[in-house]
Amino acid sequence: MEKDEIRIAVMRIEGTNCEDESVKAFKALGVYAETVHLKQFYSDFIKEEEMRTIWDYSCIVFPGGFSAGDYVRAGVIFSARLKSVLRKDLEEFIKEGYPVLGICNGFQILVELGALPGFDEDRPIADKPEMALSINDSNRFECRPTFLKHENKGKCIFTRRLKREIVVFPVAHAEGKVTFPMGREEEYLNTLKENDQIVFRYVDKDGNYAGYPWNPNGSYYNIAGICNVKGNVFGLMPHPERAIWKWQLYSDIDLLVENDFWELEGNNEADGLAIFRSIVEYLLKF
Amino acid sequence: MIASVYIELKEGVTDPEGEATKKALHLLGFKNVKKVSSIKVFRIEIDSVSRDEAEKEVIEMCEKLLANPVIHNYRIEWVD
Amino acid sequence: MSVYKRANTPFELYEIDILNADDETLKRISEELGLNLSINEMKIIQDYFKKKGRNPYDIELQALGQAWSEHCCYKSSKYYLKQHLFGINSDYVISTKDDAGVVEFDDEYAYVVALESHNHPSAIEPYGGAATGIGGILRDVLCMGAQPIALIDPLFFGNLDIEHSTLPKGVKHPVYLLSGVVAGIRDYGNRVGIPTVAGMVFFDESYLTNCLVNVGCVGIVKKEKVIPSKAGGEGDIFILAGGATGRDGIHGVTFASAELSEKSEEERSAVQLGNPIMKEPLIHACLEIVESGLLTGMKDLGGGGLSCAVGEMAFSAGYGAEIWLEKVHLKERNMKPWEIWVSESQERMLLTVKPKDVDDVLYIFKKWDVPARVIGVVKGDKILRVYYKGYLIYEMDIEFVTSGVEYCRVYKKPETVEREEIRDIGNYKKILLKMLSHPNIASKEWIIRQYDHEVRASTVLKPLQGRIGREGHGDSAVVKPVDDSWKGIAITADVNPWMTKIDPFWGSASAFDEMVRNLVAVNSIPHSFADCLNFGNPEKPERMWEFVESVRAIGWMAKNYPLPCVSGNVSFYNESPYGSVAPTPTLMGIGIVEDIRRVITMYFKKRGSAIVVIGETNHEFGGSLYSVITGLKSSNVPKTNPEKLKNYASNLLDAFKRFKIYSCHDISEGGLAVALAEMAISSNIGFDVNLSFVELFSESNTRWVVEVSKRDANKLVEFFTDNSLKAKVIGFTDSELNYGSFSITIDEAEKSFKTGLSKYLG
Repeated sequence: MEKDEIRIAVMRIEGTNCEDESVKAFKALGVYAETVHLKQFYSDFIKEEEMRTIWDYSCIVFPGGFSAGDYVRAGVIFSARLKSVLRKDLEEFIKEGYPVLGICNGFQILVELGALPGFDEDRPIADKPEMALSINDSNRFECRPTFLKHENKGKCIFTRRLKREIVVFPVAHAEGKVTFPMGREEEYLNTLKENDQIVFRYVDKDGNYAGYPWNPNGSYYNIAGICNVKGNVFGLMPHPERAIWKWQLYSDIDLLVENDFWELEGNNEADGLAIFRSIVEYLLKF
Repeated sequence: MIASVYIELKEGVTDPEGEATKKALHLLGFKNVKKVSSIKVFRIEIDSVSRDEAEKEVIEMCEKLLANPVIHNYRIEWVD
Repeated sequence: MSVYKRANTPFELYEIDILNADDETLKRISEELGLNLSINEMKIIQDYFKKKGRNPYDIELQALGQAWSEHCCYKSSKYYLKQHLFGINSDYVISTKDDAGVVEFDDEYAYVVALESHNHPSAIEPYGGAATGIGGILRDVLCMGAQPIALIDPLFFGNLDIEHSTLPKGVKHPVYLLSGVVAGIRDYGNRVGIPTVAGMVFFDESYLTNCLVNVGCVGIVKKEKVIPSKAGGEGDIFILAGGATGRDGIHGVTFASAELSEKSEEERSAVQLGNPIMKEPLIHACLEIVESGLLTGMKDLGGGGLSCAVGEMAFSAGYGAEIWLEKVHLKERNMKPWEIWVSESQERMLLTVKPKDVDDVLYIFKKWDVPARVIGVVKGDKILRVYYKGYLIYEMDIEFVTSGVEYCRVYKKPETVEREEIRDIGNYKKILLKMLSHPNIASKEWIIRQYDHEVRASTVLKPLQGRIGREGHGDSAVVKPVDDSWKGIAITADVNPWMTKIDPFWGSASAFDEMVRNLVAVNSIPHSFADCLNFGNPEKPERMWEFVESVRAIGWMAKNYPLPCVSGNVSFYNESPYGSVAPTPTLMGIGIVEDIRRVITMYFKKRGSAIVVIGETNHEFGGSLYSVITGLKSSNVPKTNPEKLKNYASNLLDAFKRFKIYSCHDISEGGLAVALAEMAISSNIGFDVNLSFVELFSESNTRWVVEVSKRDANKLVEFFTDNSLKAKVIGFTDSELNYGSFSITIDEAEKSFKTGLSKYLG
């Protein structure tokens, strides 16, 4: 599709709160993006000019935040509401190959929805969740920069424009520990590996797999982000939209040493923007 | 009818909340505490023709929203 | 015969016989109704109703109890605030009258500043108290029409190592209070999606029975969209939006205007619970309405609930109001009219709109699932009338209710003995490690990482800075509020209660000095500040003296720097039978960063650069960390001078433009010894310097340490000395912490710094 045909929906209900920065990331790349309240898809009192269907969009983003307060479990209430009003549409949307991205709370939503790990190409939304993002091992909310190693071999459409193997995106969550069913972890892991569904893994400053705090939540196999079997649904706990400009990472020395501190006019882009650029490039060829 | 729905972590799943609570209790001097488990309880009031019907519905609630089968078990107790 | 007479209404309403009441009865009424008004104040009310020729209803007395509380009308502080602190205006200050100060940011935008205490509720129920503190301060900023962009939370607790068995009855352990307060700020701030970017945590025994929870918020708004906290015009409609009204939080302000006692535990109703998932859409809905220009006025419901909000909105506009109380949507049944009127339930905003716009405004609220109701109308006369189910149950002159009372409280300097025991007792290494692990210095990472400090993705300088995995505390946080501008806002919160305790004047002046130092250290121009003045019982002359000294010092610094004070809050009665808090004038400083790509951080950047100390070091140890650690007392609190401070600050800002300065850090608690250690720990780069005892540990004001390229070092020093200011190269960055007379490895220092606080918190 043409650039001006691209329309990105950043979905929200009460409690989502990273929608503005997600919209900005797309706008920085010159494509149209807007925040859309779930209500705009079904409610009968919404004014006509504010009513939407999923087919108005070429990409759906579930942003970070605390949808519905994260009560019961993070993301589960948003996913239940989605299931009740949008399940069929969303399944069709994914089958047709449109990209769906979930960041932080968005990842939690996609997991609770059954869209990730998404092993079955014909049924992209499973009836029951097949994995969990459980409470961090530290039992605390953790807001910190993380080093992520990109390990996807090309399946994931969201990281194809990523230039570096190791990137720094911050995390900020209390429930982000990737957990597979007890006793079947290896089976899941092997399937993920075979399908090239593993995208990011937490590493330490030297690029080695390591425990807390480098792996901030205790995720199995240090997994930070995975995609579905088709590569067009992607969920990750770290926030790429908080790492799209170098100035967002000024507090962290490694980047300052690497980029000349005194270079004001230079390129301000940081690695997070590549996630959004990958989506745009993918849609341009769609 | 009123049901108490208990959502517990499956045996073997780490329980950071329980662990942290145990640690805090030890710090407060409760040295005899062996284990603390976190359990979430939802009290659900429901209209239904029979207990069986109601139970069926509550089970569905657990599977659709209240529990994540990957990490949780659930248990229903009727209080009224 | 009872003084309470049931009115002839189909709901519970009492007429209270004050016309015939003697002093004793007036006192009893004030106590029985929980009004917390003095005899003198009750008599003024009696006179007013004598003139009206009738007795008041319960709702009228309750409203006066709210409006005339210390919390709402500043009756003890106003006299001195006017004298010392008000009216330091700059041409860029847009407004300081409303709930928050509004200051010009650039041609198009203004920033909004608010700082408040939430001490009493937090001492009783730390989680709910702190959470609703965040809720309240967000509303203060929101009601100006501004998007909140940053939260700041200075906290003060008793020492963490106190034994449970030695706690006074009814007092909660500081670890419990700290954990609860942090959890409350975390769960509320993170959920509403506003980053908590800065703050401070201070431990001192004086906070054992009265912890202090101050909360600040900064917002951004287009200048043309600033919404006044007053009613629009006659005929405008009042809309109440947000959460339902319940019995929670009744008498919160009268509660905050009395000393805490053992009994306070039972007065739980004075603490509200918060619902961030109501607040988050409320913020969005209000901002959408502001953006569409449908509002004529807006005010948040804080202390005193509707009674204060309606009164203040109408009073500031010079109008009256008519309210239909049965329209207010309620959480619980059978609330009495006066309870609805004074309830402090959270997440509520009061708006005035033109009648033609009512439907559009209600639509926007509905879209966000925020309940909103029309509850009244603005009237031309200056009278406030409240109806309930058709009955007129409240009729008073707005001016009488809202202008409140004012006192010129007496003050008296307490007897003190001047002491100077400070001497060099050697043992530097041990002392320094003790300093680094003191909870006031040690890493606050356990707390900070629980706050989302970068949601909204506009945080440039985060509260933790340095090599990932070993960060230390920055001097100020910096946020970038506007998309298409490189301008930034720097924020810091400062006070050193150890100093104010010994000398409230020089201690408060030092807080001002530290605030300016922290703003300048990140390369921002000090622009404005807000104060939150936390003191003991103002009816005690010694406490009042502390307050007056403190306000006098802040006023003197601010007037002569000059730096406008744009918003403030006074919290008295932070006192229990066990004693008063140290005088705690928390200052929140705001600086303007001209280009956020030029911000300066506090950690060393490379080996082999020069280290320069800017400023003068004198033998000043009063309230210093050295004095606390060694137990050697000193009354000599560091002095300062606003003109000198300004001179240093301007020159340092100028130097940032001229020389290759890699890092900069202010010198405060623990002196240069601690400042250098912090710069090294967070970078894993050490230093080689040679410092005397006084140079190591003195806490003289108006000093910074900077890292500069070797080539520029001498030029930088000359630049200052040419302007008759002091600067000196003290050494170079290297691999260990080498102070000359002793040295420590970075890992050793880091261990003390990292575990000093976390060891208490698990």
